[in-house]
Amino acid sequence: MPLIINQQRVNDDTWLRVSEEQPLPSAGDRLVPWALWCEHKATLKAAEGRLGVLIEPDQELEALAPDLPDLALVAINFPSFADGRGFSLARLLREKYGFTGQVRAVGAVSWDRLRFMARCGFDALEVPEERYSDDMLQAFDEISVRYQGAADDPRPLFRR
Amino acid sequence: MYQYSEQDQRLIEERAEQFRDQTRRYLAGEIPEDEYRVLRLQNGLYIQTHAPMLRVAINYGLLSSAQLRGLAEVARKYDKGYAHITTRQNIQFNWPALEQVPDILADLAKVQMHAIQTSGSCIRSVTSDHFSGVFDDEIEDPRPWSEIIRQWAALHPEFAYLPRKFKIAVTGSAQDRAATQVHDIGVRLVRNDEGRVGFEVLVGGGLGRTPMIGKQIRPFLEKEDLLTYLEAILRVYNLRGRRDNKYKARIKILVDAMGADAFRDEVEAEWDRIKDSDLRLTEAEMERVRGHFPAHPYQNDASEDTSYPERLASDRDFAIWIERNTVDHKVPGYRAVTLTLKDFLKAPGDVTDAQMDLIADLADRYNFGEIRTTHQQNMVLAHIKQADLYPLWQALAEAGLARPVVGTINDMIVCPGLDFCSLANAYTLGVARQIQERFDDLDYLYDLGEMRLNMSGCINACAHHHVGHIGILGVDKKGESYYQFTLGGSSREDVSLGKVLGKSIPSEEVADTLEKIIGVFIENRLEGERFIDCVRRIGNAPFKERVYASHH
Repeated sequence: MPLIINQQRVNDDTWLRVSEEQPLPSAGDRLVPWALWCEHKATLKAAEGRLGVLIEPDQELEALAPDLPDLALVAINFPSFADGRGFSLARLLREKYGFTGQVRAVGAVSWDRLRFMARCGFDALEVPEERYSDDMLQAFDEISVRYQGAADDPRPLFRR
Repeated sequence: MYQYSEQDQRLIEERAEQFRDQTRRYLAGEIPEDEYRVLRLQNGLYIQTHAPMLRVAINYGLLSSAQLRGLAEVARKYDKGYAHITTRQNIQFNWPALEQVPDILADLAKVQMHAIQTSGSCIRSVTSDHFSGVFDDEIEDPRPWSEIIRQWAALHPEFAYLPRKFKIAVTGSAQDRAATQVHDIGVRLVRNDEGRVGFEVLVGGGLGRTPMIGKQIRPFLEKEDLLTYLEAILRVYNLRGRRDNKYKARIKILVDAMGADAFRDEVEAEWDRIKDSDLRLTEAEMERVRGHFPAHPYQNDASEDTSYPERLASDRDFAIWIERNTVDHKVPGYRAVTLTLKDFLKAPGDVTDAQMDLIADLADRYNFGEIRTTHQQNMVLAHIKQADLYPLWQALAEAGLARPVVGTINDMIVCPGLDFCSLANAYTLGVARQIQERFDDLDYLYDLGEMRLNMSGCINACAHHHVGHIGILGVDKKGESYYQFTLGGSSREDVSLGKVLGKSIPSEEVADTLEKIIGVFIENRLEGERFIDCVRRIGNAPFKERVYASHH
């Protein structure tokens, strides 16, 4: 799936999606759904390579917080275009929990949400193949005025 | 009034271009229907019964004459020569072509106007008191605070996809003309025991399917904390509000389910974390925005003019208009004038391009170039010196803008209903005409005192029927429009939700029913008593008995 990192298209995604159906990979960059992570945390941490967790928008971040030091990536799923919870989750991860690893948006990720996602702290944006075009990278520059502070710059316009 | 900085201007121009590109991609099949729907709604564009409807923001109801001329030009160039003032002080165009909407937005941007967040599940345009800055008893002018909230809310990256729409109202007076108790958030300027001015914050009010009165979650908030506190509320709502059922998605349902105390605790915990962040307002910023709303250069000797008392004594129609459609201003010799968009047999809230141009000219001549819109779907020229009242009245009367009906049942709040709106269940405009025809004796109406009539064409309650002294809700019964009455509602400081009178009645009986209700009122009225006070005193029962007597 096309991946945008720091507003640029990247061609190699090192992260392997782990699912319930497959045996746990023994090494590499593994992205694990929250339930599987909770169940196999110890085994996963014992193996070589980096770890990431995929959360749904109803995730309580308090429950995830103690694990953040073990994680290089948190992926947040957007189940639909209208669901905006992930925007708040990303900001909280960055601004409340100080998470500095990759925060990745997956699911309903398309042109018209990219800029807001980036502002809220998503540095990685996974776009479904059929919705990707190189043109969409201009989304980041469509609006140059930012009244609000956010994860990218905490200062509102009146402090800049 | 607020003058856009280079950045404010750039933002609305870029937003117009962004929407042009979104529309282009949609028409090219690159954006799916359901996604474009969300995008167009966030820019005020509905697809209605006959054509798209574009809702343009009039932030906190304040317009310059140049902006009003811009709106007149849009009505002429892209629409059928008229527009409609909404109950949230905005303006709607009912007949634009989808392909032309980007051009309309570009034209509007030239006069510092836009359609940002006038619809959709986001923070909507802020509303406020249409008499801001007019009365002595005001604690502080709410407009600078409304503007500060507008900027914070505009294209907020975190809150563009809320569970449901989100409406904020601001009042600077204990006289609540902004219906703050029936908004998602009501912000009220208050003075605390130490004499400091700050905000009382209400959350979880609203009308629609499940009407509720807002709960106070913060009795006093320092001014500099306004935005951090709003952001904490919005964050809790964005994460916790229900998304499984759109009828239960408003913040009022969340506050009700959690309980106001638990909701407050969660908000305050988040606020505690962010209150000292960069979002905390600076003195410089508060001063900058306040500086955009200076007092007008009033004339000190305005009250010395002698032509006004002479006209009052010699022209009865003028005197009646003064009494009903104008109020005293805090500056001696000035009055605030309501322009009634409730002309006989015209759709309430409609205004033509010619009327808009005329009002803009009159505002330039007599009112420092300023115009306001009201949630009662009227307009206000707030600072008319007494010597100018007579020529103003003559010009307004000629244009059908001086019907002396303010506060009577002819000053109805009415949504467009089934004639235009695809959400509506029932017609409203025909019924409004029926009421106007029946109650055309304006002296009789005036003698009845203040009587607020609000009529919505569906449960979404755009015309706020729950808080009308008399509320009328249109419902559909097997393809026919029927009307359910409520009595005793108020959106003011004495807020209350109207109680249902009984089963709904067919459209041809609406005026008869009103006549019966008024009959009971007249029989029971204490001297000078307002209708709503009478209803509160005697209850619905006597009204119910009379209205349904023949149906037994």
